[in-house]
Amino acid sequence: MGSKNLSREEIEKLFKAKDLFHRELSKMPFDEKIKILVQLQKIADGVRPSLKRNQRVWRF
Amino acid sequence: MEKTIKVINKIQKEGLIKKYAMGGGIATIFYVEPILTYDLDIFFIPSEKGRTLTILSPIYKWLKEKGYKTYKEHIIIEGIPVQFIPVYNKLIEDAVKEAVEIKYKNTKTLVIRAEHLIAIMLQTFRPKDKERIIKILDEAEINMNHLMEILQKYNLKEKFERFRRWCYGE
Repeated sequence: MGSKNLSREEIEKLFKAKDLFHRELSKMPFDEKIKILVQLQKIADGVRPSLKRNQRVWRF
Repeated sequence: MEKTIKVINKIQKEGLIKKYAMGGGIATIFYVEPILTYDLDIFFIPSEKGRTLTILSPIYKWLKEKGYKTYKEHIIIEGIPVQFIPVYNKLIEDAVKEAVEIKYKNTKTLVIRAEHLIAIMLQTFRPKDKERIIKILDEAEINMNHLMEILQKYNLKEKFERFRRWCYGE
């Protein structure tokens, strides 16, 4: 893959788009966010299962 | 999580707590993109009925009677570890009193306002609190005037400015 030197303006534009993406995600409905949280818990559990009972994937 | 909220609402209806609001990681998720957390923090104002020497015991007793199990400081309600935290200072009491009513699916609940969350996290100021403050500032819609009023009231304004300068170089 070839590399390209980006200008300061292009980099700023990229980071602004990234910020906007996170802000859009923050506006998702709460129950949708909780579904994603459970997915995150599953991923974390797959990487490093916790022995603590209060750090387990939510089951509801 | 809706079932969990319903159980907590029932605890309030039974008069074991006067008012509650979600705080911690789950309240943060309400305002920002999802972050990893494992428990649901419930800050509550004890009712007169629940105001005993061991403030948590009436809640735990009621829940245990319903078959819910405890694990260390948590009680597992409908699959979710819940920690009940009585309001332990004036800031948290104000945060619960001024919490915003929301709906989770079809069930009403309360969540601490973003401005109060920032102030509480400035008080506790653990590494994860610092991370969450940054996320809230970056992603949530903050009423800066209200935030400044709260920070002024609880002598946190200077700490906040210092933290903001450290993060954003402002």
